[in-house]
Amino acid sequence: MKPRLAFFDFTGCEGCQLEVLNFEQELLDIISAADIVNFREAMTERSDDYDIAFIDGAITTERDVARIKEIRERAKILVAIGACACIGGINCLKNFYPMEEVLRIVYGESAHYYDTIPARPVDAVVPVDYYVQGCPMTQSEFVKVVKALLTGKKPEIPNYPVCVECKMAGNICVFEKGETCVGPVTRAGCNALCVTNGRTCWGCRGLVDDPNTDSEKEILAKYNLTPEEIIAKFRMFLGYSEVAK
Amino acid sequence: MKYEVITKEDLPPFVNGLLSEIEVVGVKRKDGKFYFDRIESYDELCLDYDVTLIPPKKYLLPPNETLLKFSLGEAIQVEPFIDAAPRIILGVHPYDIKAIELMDAVFSDSNPDANYMERRRNTVIVGVDCRNPSPNAFCPSMGTATTETGFDLMLTDIGEQYVVAIGSEKGEELLKKHARTRQATEADLAQRKAVREEALAKYKLSIKAAVEEIPELLERNYDHPLWEELAAKCLSCGSCTMVCPTCVCFDVQDDVELNLTGGWRFRQWDSCMLQGFAKVATGENFREDRTSRLRHRYFRKGNYMLKRYGKLGCVGCGRCIGACLAEIASPVEAYNRLKEGS
Amino acid sequence: MREKESIYLPKLAELVRTEGLTERERLFELKLRNGDELGHQPGQFVELSIFGVGEAPLSISSSPTKKGSFEVGVRAVGNVTNALHRLEKGATVGIRGPFGNGFPLDRLKGQDVLIVAGGIGLVPLRSLVNYIEDNRQDFGRVLLLFGCRTLQEQLFVGELDHWRASKDFEYYESVDRCEDPSWKGQVGVITTLFPQFTIAPEKTYAVIVGPPVMYRFVIAECKNKGIPDDQILLSLERRMKCGVGKCGHCQINNVYVCQEGPVFTYSELKNLEEAI
Repeated sequence: MKPRLAFFDFTGCEGCQLEVLNFEQELLDIISAADIVNFREAMTERSDDYDIAFIDGAITTERDVARIKEIRERAKILVAIGACACIGGINCLKNFYPMEEVLRIVYGESAHYYDTIPARPVDAVVPVDYYVQGCPMTQSEFVKVVKALLTGKKPEIPNYPVCVECKMAGNICVFEKGETCVGPVTRAGCNALCVTNGRTCWGCRGLVDDPNTDSEKEILAKYNLTPEEIIAKFRMFLGYSEVAK
Repeated sequence: MKYEVITKEDLPPFVNGLLSEIEVVGVKRKDGKFYFDRIESYDELCLDYDVTLIPPKKYLLPPNETLLKFSLGEAIQVEPFIDAAPRIILGVHPYDIKAIELMDAVFSDSNPDANYMERRRNTVIVGVDCRNPSPNAFCPSMGTATTETGFDLMLTDIGEQYVVAIGSEKGEELLKKHARTRQATEADLAQRKAVREEALAKYKLSIKAAVEEIPELLERNYDHPLWEELAAKCLSCGSCTMVCPTCVCFDVQDDVELNLTGGWRFRQWDSCMLQGFAKVATGENFREDRTSRLRHRYFRKGNYMLKRYGKLGCVGCGRCIGACLAEIASPVEAYNRLKEGS
Repeated sequence: MREKESIYLPKLAELVRTEGLTERERLFELKLRNGDELGHQPGQFVELSIFGVGEAPLSISSSPTKKGSFEVGVRAVGNVTNALHRLEKGATVGIRGPFGNGFPLDRLKGQDVLIVAGGIGLVPLRSLVNYIEDNRQDFGRVLLLFGCRTLQEQLFVGELDHWRASKDFEYYESVDRCEDPSWKGQVGVITTLFPQFTIAPEKTYAVIVGPPVMYRFVIAECKNKGIPDDQILLSLERRMKCGVGKCGHCQINNVYVCQEGPVFTYSELKNLEEAI
């Protein structure tokens, strides 16, 4: 029987679901290999009978906590897709303010209608089987994880920094161009997309397993970033991790 | 060795002649840096450069290369895959030629690697002497500032013309077919020598130990505190090895079509500096700490490759020095520290 | 330096039989589809492909005296080994090899052999034990020591029974811990077996395979018994991708385990800092 896939969105821009819809040939292949039973952004039918749940968005309310636990109970395999679900992502920027202030800034006088908790990645609440990192999620890695699920193998996700792929791509290091990035501690797998296209790496794919963040911070300081700027750089996507505290 | 001379006016027709016959990759400029890329005409070509971002190894050992293709399903079929389209690499510096000679040794040793060997056979190397070395280069210390082997043709800019050293029959044929040249005179060769010597004086870095001393210098200092000191700053980012012309380690993985009708096996550049390089499936990691990984790189370059292949694993190009943000990858600094301490 | 064919191209092989060894390990009997013998020596390894999943180095567990097929004993720990465990009889896999040097039979012949197997170290050593049994007259005394953590981790239990009873081997065994009252054997790590026997060290070769942590202690026991360093043989595990000395993963300092190994003498290893 074909595996039944479901997509669920939590707090985020839903850009990762859009990335799934942006697949052309691959989406047809996925549909022929699996049944998609729940995908709010693409279809109206819904089913709570699924094998593999893809989660995008961070956990930012008590309702989110209850809902993700329920999904985890139903799903055989749970895959976090995108920076918000995998590492908390930019949602965690709010964690550095008091929650009441966050509500007041966003909702003004209606603040008392809403609740909010410090943002967190999915695996802060329930176990996650696989991750598709990136903001938005890296499409090729999504395909890789789907293939791994179909062949019953564990996807081979890089555990080395973006520098590896950046060098393979033949890029000039952004530091040589007078800019800075957190690529040296960020998990590769994006083929250094941002640097290859003239931008810098902000760490959207999360840290590698054993990042030398102390050395990275020293390097950023050497390239004239103030301690505040260094922390701000890490907070962009990595607010939930120790390095941004 | 035979030497010819080609004028700078006659060079464009020569290169364009080559282009009419075969794929040519050469050095191009981007944002003040240089890189090898396919050229379509002589005008794109840069022959006076310091060093390229990535060495020409990318044409002999591509960053990602398919090794096998297979079909899945009832009757599995598998066949080797070798992409070895003929190609000229134009404008290779002597140190990179020395590195290619080491790659040749690695891939031809005991179990010849058909993918590499086939591609190597179909590759013509046209070298060019480096007149303006990179500030990070230390080729004279490694004996790689010039080379008399490893090329089909080797150009030396002597002002209004190039001396062309002929390193192979294939090189000679291409030259005869596409270039107007004359035989080099004693005066041309004297000028060639002068130009090479002038370039030698421009190198800024040098190792305080003789090249023959390096393997033993390392061996004596296996437990030197230097390795730990450098490793504390090491990002394990692999940059030093990715840009290294003699780093040839690779990982192998399978990939499949989404519809599971078939797939392919590929290799891609790997690095001993990365955390998982020596980790086995049972979980044991034989080089878990940064110090052991960093030391392995230095020893591989300055000792192990010599023992195994008869050539040192460092050609002094200095790319690692430029690529390392933590400033800990310099063989010059490491060797000099060890030398001073001995 | 012209090569004949791709060193990365596996031969197809058929899975003709599988057998559970323990909860985590299974034995797989394989036959090359082209009918060839594998042509290995005890102690060599193969690279086994599950197409679409990948390739993994596996010790050959059968003796070359067994014709027509060969066996690998495999713990399910990674992608390839897990996929192999899911395969059924008749499935096709890829095989490259045999690779590596294997145990030095020429040096072992006519000598006493002390075989020390820790846990799944018995998988490669079984190829040697079975080889010796089939050529028993070529060897002197053969002592077989087998230790594992628990009774449940004992593999090849049928053969263990056979070795316990066989006159060909002096068999000693231990388990690190055991709560089963019916177990009358030794409880303790494998080194606790050493006081139970004497040997003639000058004509004894120790052949040791086990988890990395075991080697240092067993080597010390062998040296205690007076066995010279170049008669202490060990088979080492390292990460391997290519098996043919190219990919670089299996290096111990300047040594390639897939080329010069996986079997080394202690004399070769004692000056290699990364070895043990």
